[in-house]
Amino acid sequence: MSDVAKPKNPEDDWKIWLVVNPATWLMPILLTVLAVAIAVHWVVFAVGLGWGA
Amino acid sequence: MAEQSLSGLTDQQAKEFHEQFKVTYTAFVGLAALAHLFVIAANPWW
Repeated sequence: MSDVAKPKNPEDDWKIWLVVNPATWLMPILLTVLAVAIAVHWVVFAVGLGWGA
Repeated sequence: MAEQSLSGLTDQQAKEFHEQFKVTYTAFVGLAALAHLFVIAANPWW
């Protein structure tokens, strides 16, 4: 296992799509980003940093 | 069966998709940065 070439990023970043098929995983990825954004906004508003704080 | 990637995409397809992914992600980060600047201008949180 140790003879596997180590990736050099960011130039090898594209190779992620040789493992993760975007036709299957793009929407789950985007929905996860949306969930994180909603969670962050929820906390920010919950701690009182919302509008007119 | 020729050498196939785990995802089934060819190198060409992966590179092509990644170019678009970078564009969209850059736009997302740009918009988020802009939104944060508006919040900082209106109501800094520190």
